[in-house]
Amino acid sequence: MNSNANRNAKIKLFISRFVVYAILIFLAFLCLFFFWLMFVNSTRSNAQLQSGFALFPKENFLKNFYNAWHDGTIDIPTGMKNSFIVAICSALLTTYFSALTAYGTYVYNFRFKKAVHLFILAIMMIPSQVSAVGFIQLAFKFHLTNKLWLLIVPSIAAPAVYFYMRQYLQATLPLEMVEAARIDGSNEFRIFNQIVLPIMKPAMAVQMIFSFVGSWNNYFMPSLLLNDAKKKTVPVMIGTLRSADFTKFDMGKVYMLMLMAILPVMVIYIILSKSIIKGVTSGSVKG
Amino acid sequence: MAEVTLKNIKKVYPIGDTEKKQRKALKKSKEENPESNKANLQITDEGVVAVQEFSLDIKDKEFVVLVGPSGCGKSTTLRMVAGLEEITSGELYIDGNLVNSVEPKDRDIAMVFQTYALYPHMTVRDNMAYSLKIKKLPKEEIEAKVNEAAEILDITQYLDRKPKALSGGQRQRVAIGRAIVRDPKVLLMDEPLSNLDAKLRNQMRSEIIKLRQRINTTFIYVTHDQTEAMTLGDRIVVMKDGFIQQIGTPQEVYDHPSNLFVSGFIGTPQMNYFDAKLEVENGKYVVNTDGYKVVLSEEKQVRLKEKDVKPQDVTLGVRPDHIVLSENGLKGKVDVSELMGPSCHLHMTVDGKDVIAIVPTEGKKVDYVNKEVDFGFNGNVCHIFSKEDEKNLEY
Ligand SMILES: Nc1ncnc2c1ncn2[C@@H]1O[C@H](COP(=O)(O)OP(=O)(O)O)[C@@H](O)[C@H]1O
Ligand SMILES: [Mg+2]
Repeated sequence: MNSNANRNAKIKLFISRFVVYAILIFLAFLCLFFFWLMFVNSTRSNAQLQSGFALFPKENFLKNFYNAWHDGTIDIPTGMKNSFIVAICSALLTTYFSALTAYGTYVYNFRFKKAVHLFILAIMMIPSQVSAVGFIQLAFKFHLTNKLWLLIVPSIAAPAVYFYMRQYLQATLPLEMVEAARIDGSNEFRIFNQIVLPIMKPAMAVQMIFSFVGSWNNYFMPSLLLNDAKKKTVPVMIGTLRSADFTKFDMGKVYMLMLMAILPVMVIYIILSKSIIKGVTSGSVKG
Repeated sequence: MAEVTLKNIKKVYPIGDTEKKQRKALKKSKEENPESNKANLQITDEGVVAVQEFSLDIKDKEFVVLVGPSGCGKSTTLRMVAGLEEITSGELYIDGNLVNSVEPKDRDIAMVFQTYALYPHMTVRDNMAYSLKIKKLPKEEIEAKVNEAAEILDITQYLDRKPKALSGGQRQRVAIGRAIVRDPKVLLMDEPLSNLDAKLRNQMRSEIIKLRQRINTTFIYVTHDQTEAMTLGDRIVVMKDGFIQQIGTPQEVYDHPSNLFVSGFIGTPQMNYFDAKLEVENGKYVVNTDGYKVVLSEEKQVRLKEKDVKPQDVTLGVRPDHIVLSENGLKGKVDVSELMGPSCHLHMTVDGKDVIAIVPTEGKKVDYVNKEVDFGFNGNVCHIFSKEDEKNLEY
């Protein structure tokens, strides 16, 4: 009797595990399959691509890479450089200043503090495309197109990042720690940089990934503000391929371009995700 | 290394949402029931008055303890001395300098917080060295000072750990270490032991006494625990509702509580109270408790005469240790008897009121439970409080 019930329980457990794993594997497959296809396609020549579908890599990886890197119409190395400048600057500045703002409204008491907080949150409700229209008009009026910093500066004001940082601070930073640092003789900026920022590392890492990816993939604003080939970012360059000459169209090169475009995002993710995990395990010290 | 002088210090916090609600609720309950004397003295029109009329001269190297129930304004007072809280009115001097508007970092004070407030991302060594690094002291000097403080506190073996890897008691030591490496003029402590368990607390208490002998500085220590106050303080300041109730040595406060509140707050078990009459017989003051008359001692007679106290209804207070079992006196029924080794705590009911007596057991085993006992007290241990303002009539 007993052993029978035991066996039944084991079988049930096995079946439920089997189903769960099957679903998970299927989902993982769905996510990864297209990345795989892109990689495979980036190793095939244009002719091979025309001939249909393939599951395994071919031998043209380096050739495609060479073609993409030395393309006559779009200058990928410059695009990469521009994209990196914009994405890294945005990610750093956005997270730093959002954390600074969050720290300000969390730690200091001043009049209209609540109103300031609510105002910042209210801005979150406005779609960025709406405010972008005005911004772009302004940029054209002042003849400020084709400037990379024009893409960086507006991204610094990020209400959603501010909100995230504020919540994180509330959960992890006891005010007494700030006071302890004040008594230790630290000035306010030093407290923020040496005490608060290290505590916020995990939150900073998360938001840096998001804003790096967002900025790297951004097409809308750059496509409107950048028309000089020397200033274009990677997504804008890939966008111009649509209007390229069909007779010279090399699909292998296009896939290679796409691979190049997503690679930095993956690398950044892998670098920062380590510090997220590290950070989560080191909270503040309480009783 | 410095005197601290507080002159008529007052602190008013702006009224917040919770206080507003509290006030409304209070008003409503007043309207419904005008007799109820429920009132929060501290919430007024100007805001939350956390501390007022606070005047105190702290001598160089003195150990002063602020003690009182939760919410009485102890932390606020300490934080004003630290410079973490603005002083609404009054004057604060450290070492003779007016420091009302001096930044915390320029006051040369150090503070130990209840929650330790260690920097989680730094090792114990870096935690302790932080203030010295800011002062830009030479590396060797920092190293030497940190090592010395670690030695005093017995945390040398933890110097390279992060605070997370320490127990509560060890973290507390680090917090104290961080404060003493700087040789501050004044060392402030806000309930440093209340996050520790009972055993560790007793141990740390004696360590603080030892620490005090090793480092020569002025201490201001905040606690809600009267035992800590009595054992640590050169002088203690008893507070309630933002007002100082009494300032004195532990002995003074224990022997001559200035009012009913202090008498009840200091000393455990709590003082017993009886409704009594103060009478004059043959030119002598006598307390009459339900017909049990006790002639007050000579010194009390003198003090009462000096103040020309009139016969009146009073609250009589007698500490449990001063109650003696006797042949004739007041009668009480013993509900519970707790044996405490050399003595026995008797919890009695007298006229519907609880009375505690500590009686020596003298090695005999006596069972008092459910028995009627007679007890009395001598004229030198009676504390006589006015029924009107609850003040000690002698002072
Ligand atoms: N930041 C604040 N804002 C408003 N009221 C406060 C604030 N801090 C303390 N209080 C009030 O001041 C009074 C004294 O507080 P506190 O000094 O912390 O008491 P204690 O340390 O003796 O328990 C309390 O009534 C408390 O509610
Ligand atoms: Mg307190």
